[in-house]
Amino acid sequence: MKKTFIMAWRNIWRNKRRTLITVASIFFAVFFAVVMRSFQLGTYDHMIHQAIESFTGYIQIQDKEFFYEPSLDNSFEYTDEIVSSVKKVENVQVAVPRVESFALASTGLQSKGVLVTGIDPVKEKNLSNPENRIVKFRFTPEIVDQIIKEVELPEKQVELIKANENNSYSSFSRISLDMALDSDLEKILFPVIEQKASFESDYLNTNDDGVLVSDRLARYLKADVGDTLVLIGAGYHGMSAANIFPIRGIVKILSPELDNKLVYMTLENAQQFFSLGNRVTTLNINLEDPDEMVESQEDLQNAINNDQFTVKNWEEFNPTMKQQIEGDSVGGVIFIGILYFIVLFGIVGTVLMMIAERKRELGVMVAIGMAKVKLSFVLVFEMLFLGLIGTLSGLAASAPVVVFFNRNPIKMTGEMSKMYEDMGFDPVMPLAWFNDYFVWQAVIVMIMVIIACYLPLRRVRKMNVIKALRA
Amino acid sequence: MNVIEINNLTKIYNESEVKVKAVDNVSLQFEQGEFAAIVGPSGSGKTTLLNMIGGLDKSTEGDIVVDGVKIGELKSSKLIDFRLRNIGFVFQAYNLIPVLTAKENVEFIMELQGKSRVERDERSIALLSAVGLGERVNARPAKLSGGQQQRVAVARALASKPKFVLADEPTANLDSKSTETLLDIMEQLNKEENITFIFSTHDQRVVNKARRVITVEDGHVVSDERRA
Ligand SMILES: Nc1ncnc2c1ncn2[C@@H]1O[C@H](COP(=O)(O)OP(=O)(O)O)[C@@H](O)[C@H]1O
Ligand SMILES: [Mg+2]
Repeated sequence: MKKTFIMAWRNIWRNKRRTLITVASIFFAVFFAVVMRSFQLGTYDHMIHQAIESFTGYIQIQDKEFFYEPSLDNSFEYTDEIVSSVKKVENVQVAVPRVESFALASTGLQSKGVLVTGIDPVKEKNLSNPENRIVKFRFTPEIVDQIIKEVELPEKQVELIKANENNSYSSFSRISLDMALDSDLEKILFPVIEQKASFESDYLNTNDDGVLVSDRLARYLKADVGDTLVLIGAGYHGMSAANIFPIRGIVKILSPELDNKLVYMTLENAQQFFSLGNRVTTLNINLEDPDEMVESQEDLQNAINNDQFTVKNWEEFNPTMKQQIEGDSVGGVIFIGILYFIVLFGIVGTVLMMIAERKRELGVMVAIGMAKVKLSFVLVFEMLFLGLIGTLSGLAASAPVVVFFNRNPIKMTGEMSKMYEDMGFDPVMPLAWFNDYFVWQAVIVMIMVIIACYLPLRRVRKMNVIKALRA
Repeated sequence: MNVIEINNLTKIYNESEVKVKAVDNVSLQFEQGEFAAIVGPSGSGKTTLLNMIGGLDKSTEGDIVVDGVKIGELKSSKLIDFRLRNIGFVFQAYNLIPVLTAKENVEFIMELQGKSRVERDERSIALLSAVGLGERVNARPAKLSGGQQQRVAVARALASKPKFVLADEPTANLDSKSTETLLDIMEQLNKEENITFIFSTHDQRVVNKARRVITVEDGHVVSDERRA
C-alpha cells in the first residue's frame, strides 16, 4: 500500500505543469466557492439577526386569526397560563409580549404612519434590546463641519463622515465601521465626537408614560427628546385611540425600514392607549438553538394545547424575507455548481490524458502481474492527491479571508448600499463563520474526484493487455 | 518434466475483414533450464506465440499447459496472478515503471507477491549486481541507457523466481555492444541458476547464442534444432 501511495504521488509530478493547472483550478473553485458562500450566508445571518433575532424573534405566538388579519381585534389575553406553557419548552430562550399596531404620529410640524410597539422595558432587553440602541451620538451637518475643522482627517474619512452627516449612533464601534477608522484615527476622532456630537437620551422606565422614537422617524418628524408626540389610531374593537406622549429617547434601529417607523412605549401604556385590557398581539420568542426552530414550534403548539393560538416561525410570518434569502441562495448555489462543473471537466480531461499517455506502461504492469484492482488504486490515489492538494490549499487560502471579513464586515457603499437599505437592511456584509459550507466544498471536490475516477477505472477493468503493450 | 507443453496451438486474428492465421497448429515442449530462441522474419508469429505462452493472449485452438495448469482455462484475474507467480517478462522496450528506481522496479514484483522487506531488499540488490548494475540501484529508468534498462528488466523478470522467462525481441532496440552484454548475462543466469529463457529474435548474433533454435515462418514451426 505504501508503494501504491509513493507511485501515485510521483506519477502526479511527472507532468508538473498539468498537475499545477488542475490543482489550481480546484484551488480557485474552492476558494471562490468558500468566499462567495460565506458572503451569502453571512449576509443572510446578518439579515436574520437584524430582522428576526433582534426584532420579531424566531417564533411568535398569535391568536389564530391574527396571522390572516393582523389587527388589534385579533389580539389575545396575556395570561399566566400561556406564560407557563411556553416556559415548558426547553429551547425557548426568551418570550416577550408585545402589542403592535399602526397609528398616525404627529409633532405638529410633520405627521407619519408609525408602528407603535408596546414592550415590557425589562424583558424586551432580551429581544430587540432598545436600551442598547439608544442614540448616544448624533451628527448634523453643522456638527460634522465643526469636527472636520477641528481634526485633520484623511480625505476618505472626511468623505465618509460627510456621508453620515445626518446619522446617529448608539455606539463607537458602529462609527468606526461606517467611517473605516483604524485604531489611530479612533484615538483622534472619538474624543472630538464625544465632545461635539454627544446626545442625551433615556430608556423607558417600567411605568413610563413616554415613548422612544426611532432615529429616522424622529428626524422626519423633527422630534427631539423632551418634545411631545401626538398619536392617533384605532383601538380594540373600534375604540378611538388618541393621546400625547413625551419623547424620552431616540433609538437607532439597524434596519432602515424599521428605523423609519418605530415608536416604543411600555406594554401597559400601549394596552391603555389601544383599550386592550391585558391583551397583547404577539408573544415573541427567541430560541437557544435556532436550527431546532421547526421542532420547537411543534413543541410550543403542543405545550399550549389550545386552538385559539397559533405558533408561527419567522419563515411563515415573514415570507418575503425567506423568499429573498432562498432566491439569492439558489442563485449562488447554481453559480457555484456551474463553476464546479467546469472544474470537473478539467479534472476528467486531465485524468484521460494521464491514462492515455501511460497506456503501454499500465499494460506492462498488468502483464507482469499487477492485479487490476491494485493498479486502480494507484490511479485513484493520483486523483485523490490532486483533489486534496487543491481542496486543502483552497480552504487554507480562504480561511483567513473568512476570518478577516467576519471580524471586519464590509460596509457597502454607493448603489449597493442603497439597494440594501431599500430592501430594509443595514448595508453591512459580514462573512459567515466556518460552518457546514466549508466542509461541503471538500465533499464536493471528493465527489468530483470519484466521478472523474470512473472512466480510468473502467479503462483499466476493460484493458486488453496485448493492445496496451502495442501502444 | 516439461515446464511448458504446447499442443496444436492456433491463433487466428479476425478483427479485420481478412483472417490472419498468426500461429498455425504449433506443438512444442520446453524443459527446465532451456535457453531457446524463436527465430523468424517479422510477421512470422513470434510475438503472438510468446504472448499466448505468457498467458497474455488467448489461443483460438489448442492449449498450453504450464506446470500442469491449462492456462487457457484460467479466469483473467487468476491469470494475472498466475503470471505474477510463474512467468518473468522482458519486452522489447520501455519495460520499466518510470517513476520507480531500478531497485524499486525489481522490488515491485516481489512486493506484488507479498515478499518481506528484507527479502526484497537483499534479492533486488543481488539481482541488480548480477546484471552488472550494482552501482545504479537508485537510478530512475530515464537515467539509464537502453541496454541498462533491459538488464533491469531481466533482473525484474527474475525477481519473482519464475518458472521461465519470456523475452520478446529483448535486443531489438539495442546496439551490438549492449546486445552482447545482455545475452551474456542471460546466458550466465541460465547456466549458473538453471533459469529457463525463451526469447524471440531475428538477429543472427543472438540466434548463435541459443542452445535451441525454433524457426517459425507464417505461423508454422519449420525447424526445431538443439545444439550442444
Ligand atoms: N492484433 C492483431 N490483429 C490482426 N492481426 C495481427 C494482430 N497481431 C498480429 N497480427 C498479425 O499476425 C501475424 C503475426 O504477427 P506477430 O506475432 O507480431 O509476428 P512477429 O512477432 O513474428 O513479427 C502478422 O501477420 C501480423 O500482422
Ligand atoms: Mg514481434
